[in-house]
Amino acid sequence: MGTIFRYALSKSRGAILGWGLGLLALGLLIVPIFDTIAEQADQIGQLMDIYPAEIFEFFGGLSDFSTPEGFLSIEYFSFLPIILGIYVISLASGLFASDEESGRLDLMVAHPLSRTAFFFGRVGALLVTLVAILTIGWLGLGLPSSAMESFSLGMGELVPPFLSLLAILLIFASLALLLSMILPSRRAASMVSVLLLVAGFFIEGLSGINADLEPLAKWLPLRYYQGGDAFNGLNWTWLGGLIGFSLLFILLAWWRFQRRDIRVAGEGSLPFLNRIRRVRRKNQRAAVR
Amino acid sequence: MTKSIAIQAQGLIKSYGRVQALFGVDLEVQRGSIAGFLGPNGAGKTTTIRCFLDMIRPNGGTLRVAGIDPQADPVAVRALVGYLPGELSLDDNMTTEAVLRFFNSLRSKRAEWSYIEELSERLDLDITRPIKNLSSGNKKKAGVIQALMHKPEILMLDEPTGGLDPLMQREVLQIIKEAREDGATVFFSSHNIAEVEIIADQVNIISEGIVVEVVDVAELLTRALRRARITFRQAADTSPLLSLPGVTLISQHNDTSIELQITGDMDPLIKALAKFPVIDIQTARPSLEDIFMAYYEKGEEEAA
Repeated sequence: MGTIFRYALSKSRGAILGWGLGLLALGLLIVPIFDTIAEQADQIGQLMDIYPAEIFEFFGGLSDFSTPEGFLSIEYFSFLPIILGIYVISLASGLFASDEESGRLDLMVAHPLSRTAFFFGRVGALLVTLVAILTIGWLGLGLPSSAMESFSLGMGELVPPFLSLLAILLIFASLALLLSMILPSRRAASMVSVLLLVAGFFIEGLSGINADLEPLAKWLPLRYYQGGDAFNGLNWTWLGGLIGFSLLFILLAWWRFQRRDIRVAGEGSLPFLNRIRRVRRKNQRAAVR
Repeated sequence: MTKSIAIQAQGLIKSYGRVQALFGVDLEVQRGSIAGFLGPNGAGKTTTIRCFLDMIRPNGGTLRVAGIDPQADPVAVRALVGYLPGELSLDDNMTTEAVLRFFNSLRSKRAEWSYIEELSERLDLDITRPIKNLSSGNKKKAGVIQALMHKPEILMLDEPTGGLDPLMQREVLQIIKEAREDGATVFFSSHNIAEVEIIADQVNIISEGIVVEVVDVAELLTRALRRARITFRQAADTSPLLSLPGVTLISQHNDTSIELQITGDMDPLIKALAKFPVIDIQTARPSLEDIFMAYYEKGEEEAA
């Protein structure tokens, strides 16, 4: 399992560096501008009054720009689940399926290693990758905020929203992983997961405006993402629920991986796409004749 | 299953959804032998090999590798086997050396690095180069090395010489022979009938998901069925030849040339021909290719 873990982690080095440095840069960029924003809070407030209240309801209501918590809530934690979510879906859906579809998995699983060890070696590397990216992001916010007197958030106070972010990313990663074990291709698993993420984002936002969407929004994971609200205290039930469902999805994916056939290169597509390709090839042959 | 059998399948059935790939494959490979696995594309060769390694799960039948059920203990089976997939795909961003070290660490570093170097030297492969810079033939060589490097008890090779130049094909076959001499059992699929005939002790021919013929190559060489084309200087009455036991007429042209099929000993025919004005005799035995092509053409006709 250790060899697989190290191998999978080495494949994520670039992503950890790229995403980590991106978040670090974002933190270093936005924290220093807090003072300027806070000073202009009244003007910004007046500007916001011009816009319809529904716009702000969509983004979870107005936060106070003049406090570090409200500032980070809007400028940082409101959109990261979508941006990082798309990345972790791509990472998790391809954790096994991309090697499988390219034919690389065939040779790897021919070695004396149980599928369980193989599975958890790779899933472990995925979790470490996520934690590493968020840790760099946390440092990116924490280091400049410690250096600014007006930004009264300590490193410890920054942990709860990052935990909430980790939990929401975990659930989408584990869902994409599970779907990659069930659906015929990585692309299909990725598409369905991204659709759920983006649709969930809009449904959650619109449920603040349209009460009819509230019953649906309750069933979507983004409802239980606290983001900047976690500065006021973590909702452990929500956090536990997200992590619990993530573990459940991971266990279901493991169960499925244990029992399913390993596909070979060239396999792994949706049946209707295969049919379209067959018809296209047939038409091309007919045209050549 | 006796200890002398290394690989065994009985009534192996495999379906992919509504498509049935294997219809009850039966085969046995003796320990320490080389068994070829021949068949047209889509006949079920790769599916059978992948079932032995528990990469895919059969819908019926039993499998044993060195007496172990691959579904019950796949790790034990894979520890004994060196495998080369037909569609080899390696990590393009790694060097060949890094790939081989990675595979070796998955086998608890069982392979001796000196042997890996020896194999790469024999196959003329520079292992310091990245996989992405290798030709398909050189990638195949890397695949062959990873299958052989830990000196496995059993080798399962899916088209080991495909994509290699003739010199390298010969070298790979030589290495496979040496592995057998060291006690390994080799089970390999191929489209190259000549190489199978040269190297294999036994050949299993699979067609449309079922083993249709098992040929003992040594027996094939001495098989008492031959054809003879005899050309005479002038027209001759060949009726005395046709009355010989085991001789049947296939074709006759202008009383100066006949084609006969002889079952059994050739001696009576040779002695009878002494009384004829013979210019030329050509004899041939049915080759593995004849046997294989008979099944292949049958499959093509049915498909049409």
